[in-house]
Amino acid sequence: MSLFVIGISVIGLLFVFFLAGLEIGVAMGLAGFIGFSAAVGVEPALNLVAKDIYSVFSSYGFTVIPLFVLMGQVGSSGGVARKLYDATYKFIGHIPGGLALGTVGAATAFKAICGSAPATAATFATIAVPEMDRYNYDRKLSCGTVATVGTLGIIIPPSVVLIIYGILTETSIGKLFLAGIIPGLIVAVSFLLTIVVWCAYNPKLGPKGEKSTWKERIASLPPLLWVFIIFAVVVGGLMQGFFTPTEAGSVGTFAVIILTLMQKEMSVARYIQAVAGTLRIACMVLILIAGATILGHFFAVTRTPYVVAEWLTHLNVDRSVIILLIIAIYLIGGSFIEHLAFLILATPIFLPVVLKLGYDPVWFGVIVGVVTMIGVILPPLGINVFVVSGVTGEPAARVYRGAYRYLIGLSICLLILIYFPEISLWLPNQFIK
Amino acid sequence: MTILSSVSRVLARFMYVVAGIALTACVFLTVCDVLLRLFKHPIIGTYELVGLLGAVVVGFSLPETSRLNGHVFMHFLTDRLSDSVKGVLRVLTRILAIGMFLIIAWNLMLMGHDFQVTGETTATLQLPFFPVCYGIAVCCFVECLVLFVEIFKKGETQS
Repeated sequence: MSLFVIGISVIGLLFVFFLAGLEIGVAMGLAGFIGFSAAVGVEPALNLVAKDIYSVFSSYGFTVIPLFVLMGQVGSSGGVARKLYDATYKFIGHIPGGLALGTVGAATAFKAICGSAPATAATFATIAVPEMDRYNYDRKLSCGTVATVGTLGIIIPPSVVLIIYGILTETSIGKLFLAGIIPGLIVAVSFLLTIVVWCAYNPKLGPKGEKSTWKERIASLPPLLWVFIIFAVVVGGLMQGFFTPTEAGSVGTFAVIILTLMQKEMSVARYIQAVAGTLRIACMVLILIAGATILGHFFAVTRTPYVVAEWLTHLNVDRSVIILLIIAIYLIGGSFIEHLAFLILATPIFLPVVLKLGYDPVWFGVIVGVVTMIGVILPPLGINVFVVSGVTGEPAARVYRGAYRYLIGLSICLLILIYFPEISLWLPNQFIK
Repeated sequence: MTILSSVSRVLARFMYVVAGIALTACVFLTVCDVLLRLFKHPIIGTYELVGLLGAVVVGFSLPETSRLNGHVFMHFLTDRLSDSVKGVLRVLTRILAIGMFLIIAWNLMLMGHDFQVTGETTATLQLPFFPVCYGIAVCCFVECLVLFVEIFKKGETQS
């Protein structure tokens, strides 16, 4: 059997494992092991499995993942998100749809310390939805907004998705973080515009809230300031080469612990809750990466990604068509397999294509991030929708109906970012040579 | 089965606590290193220690994450199947996962043994690799136990 035939057979086997309900990380590892045994031999495959697992688990580089996740979990447990929401709500809560606009503002600020989309969605579902209920906001607007704003963290640094992409593709995490800032803000503006237009069209969806005094508004600002300082230290230190990404994650976590202790919002029980949540997410992600590493070594032997790259680059079409095709594969794949799992599975296959077409891997990281943002609110596997549905008790279908409205803006942003790569690359090119 | 279930739960939770302590240690060790570096007295070998602690964080949280159903699955097809077919697939996939983790555990034991025999250590602190290697192998064995218990637990729920 030729290596290419083995490669294709293993991809088929992999999807059988996925469909049967095997854990995706385990499925990738097992398919990679079987394929490597067939291509090279059982003895080398046994050695490969142990070596890959040990090297992924004990890699200094991968410790960045639990540390940045912990930073966000501590921020969630320590009430940082609530304070940010209070601040934005005091400024714009009194205009139509103001509480939803405030949610977008607070989530954008909260993303500066929390890199997990479902964690943000869960946090704001707990904080913002009851508040919007109080002012008779339509649940379609409140739940849809909360599910969607959770996705902002996928490209606004420090994003766990960009960290994983950076590790997988050996791209500078500092550059990726900088590249995500402007696109993240553009997407946030698209969310704000969606709410404004939606509420102008149907004012009953988001009635006005109470108007705060300027004294109350100014008093609510310090938490915003602290989050900005922590963000500046973490991303600035990383960018200047003062920290490694792992150190940036640790310093950020430590700073958030100190902040929440000063605000008397942190207790031992809350810290334990944050650590427990972190371990579960970190283990889930690293098992995916370990499985993908084993599968990746098998693909390297069969040269499958290079065959795919050769085939795609020889298609007689413009390179932007190929990129759109790859994006479509990410969207469709991410709708059926969990978005992060698909990113880990697909990126090593498509990166050679992207590089061969002459695109910048930093730009592609941002594009993959925006595609992932769409993926986490697209059925049937929109994880953020399920998180919000679980927290608020609202049926997932209704949350989906609210979240759909944001897809228009997100899709426009995606197209702008595809055709104007300078938007993503301007900041990293200014600061990192 | 109840005893096996209790044993797996206690072991998984104990390992989760160890992983949590390792994660906290990672944070404080790195922060101390960064602070001391400002005064030109970095903690020697932090890089190696954090790598090894990272292995403890991930390896030791594995059984409890599985017990809490924390891994990523694709439910797209299985949700549409009848309970009996779902049950059969669940048993089959648990067996496959147990097989995979047994392979990993056994080969990590062999790798740990090699590290022990050859005396391989980290470059700066001369810390031996084998205890962490054996540790992850033990976690994988506990993971097998958790997966084994899961077969019967789900069966019980169904009946």
